[in-house]
Amino acid sequence: MNIQVTNLIKKYQDKTVVDMNSIGFLSGNIYGVTGDNGAGKTTLLKILAGLESHDLGNIVYNDQPLGPSLMKKITYLSQTPYLMRSSVYENIIYPLKIRNVDSKIIERKAFEIMEELQVAELRDQLATQLSGGESQKVALARALVFDPEVLLLDEPTASIDPATIEIIEEAIKKRNKLQNMTIIMISHNIDQVKRMCDEIIYMKKGKRI
Amino acid sequence: MALLMEGLKEALLLLFRFDREVYGIIGLSIGLSFTSTIFSAIIGIPLGLYLGIKPFRFKKTFTRTIYTMMSLPPVVIGLLVALFLSRSGPLGSLGLIFTPTAMVIAQMILITPIILGIVYNDAKQQGPAIKQIGMTLGAGRLQTLKLLITEMRITLLIALVTGFGRATSEVGAVMIVGGNIKGHTRVMTTYIAMNSSMGNYAVAISMGIVLLLISFMVNTILYHYVTGE
Repeated sequence: MNIQVTNLIKKYQDKTVVDMNSIGFLSGNIYGVTGDNGAGKTTLLKILAGLESHDLGNIVYNDQPLGPSLMKKITYLSQTPYLMRSSVYENIIYPLKIRNVDSKIIERKAFEIMEELQVAELRDQLATQLSGGESQKVALARALVFDPEVLLLDEPTASIDPATIEIIEEAIKKRNKLQNMTIIMISHNIDQVKRMCDEIIYMKKGKRI
Repeated sequence: MALLMEGLKEALLLLFRFDREVYGIIGLSIGLSFTSTIFSAIIGIPLGLYLGIKPFRFKKTFTRTIYTMMSLPPVVIGLLVALFLSRSGPLGSLGLIFTPTAMVIAQMILITPIILGIVYNDAKQQGPAIKQIGMTLGAGRLQTLKLLITEMRITLLIALVTGFGRATSEVGAVMIVGGNIKGHTRVMTTYIAMNSSMGNYAVAISMGIVLLLISFMVNTILYHYVTGE
């Protein structure tokens, strides 16, 4: 899905936190958003996900404004994802269950993504009792299982061990290639951004620099 | 100690004698507490969820007000309800004073803020994250609400148990608005208070033990239901 942002402004009280003239995100590309803390990266991502409103400007997704049906094709993964008080498997299949996907397809897709992110052995474990790295892998599995067209990642590998980072990066790149997914990823790790992304967006005080 | 042992003996006798009056008192106590808990939950749970998640002006003031209302003095509430429902009061024409309905109203005023406060507090902390997960995974409004209730089920049950516990243990307000009328508005707590004031300590203790047993049973059932243990 292509996303076009024009003259976007977001303010908290009198402080402008995002001020973007024009920026486009093309389908099938991975974008890295980086910058200092407070640069407006997370706010930008939340606006794109429809989780926060903006004060001025226009955002279109394949030339359409964001509505309920488009929201179902976009997902956002935060640095500290919330996992439901149920098993890892129940967490992962949740997006498919609410879409009334056939149970056999649910089983197959869950199996594939759990294998891909190496969380199959955690299947019946309570999701709230997982370590940081395991939680992030399960949350990513849950975000990818329903094949979203846009994946918004807010520091998905912060405070995670190198082996888990590799698994997560591989899964992201694989899905990006296979499904032509638009991925926008915030990261403070410049090496990671260079390694993974087609384009890098540097932000400072809400603006692209 | 001797009084307690005598009370325990009396409690067993009370239960196994199948005394109609005693079972009537126990039944009325449970029935009233259950009714007031259900009505308070119908008001408190949706309101607590909504206000907990929704950002609004004066939220901090609202929080302080709710916490204050969680410790409303029962006797004062009883007095106010009695003034409103008494024959000469604004709602006197309804003829509710010294009826079980008046007792339910008083209990509701006391426990609604408790249920609301517990739900509101947890919804304020957890609610936005749960709502965000629902939205980002493609859940509609009803699906998000269902997710919220499922995720907060333990808190909701804690709120219900606390509300029910407060209702069953309430004495001041129900005494004033109910009048402790034998066979009509006499409940376990007013029965205990009356017997205690008359010096029938063994009878009072025995009913106290019954009250504790009921509370323990309700908590056990709910604990089992929530945790599966």
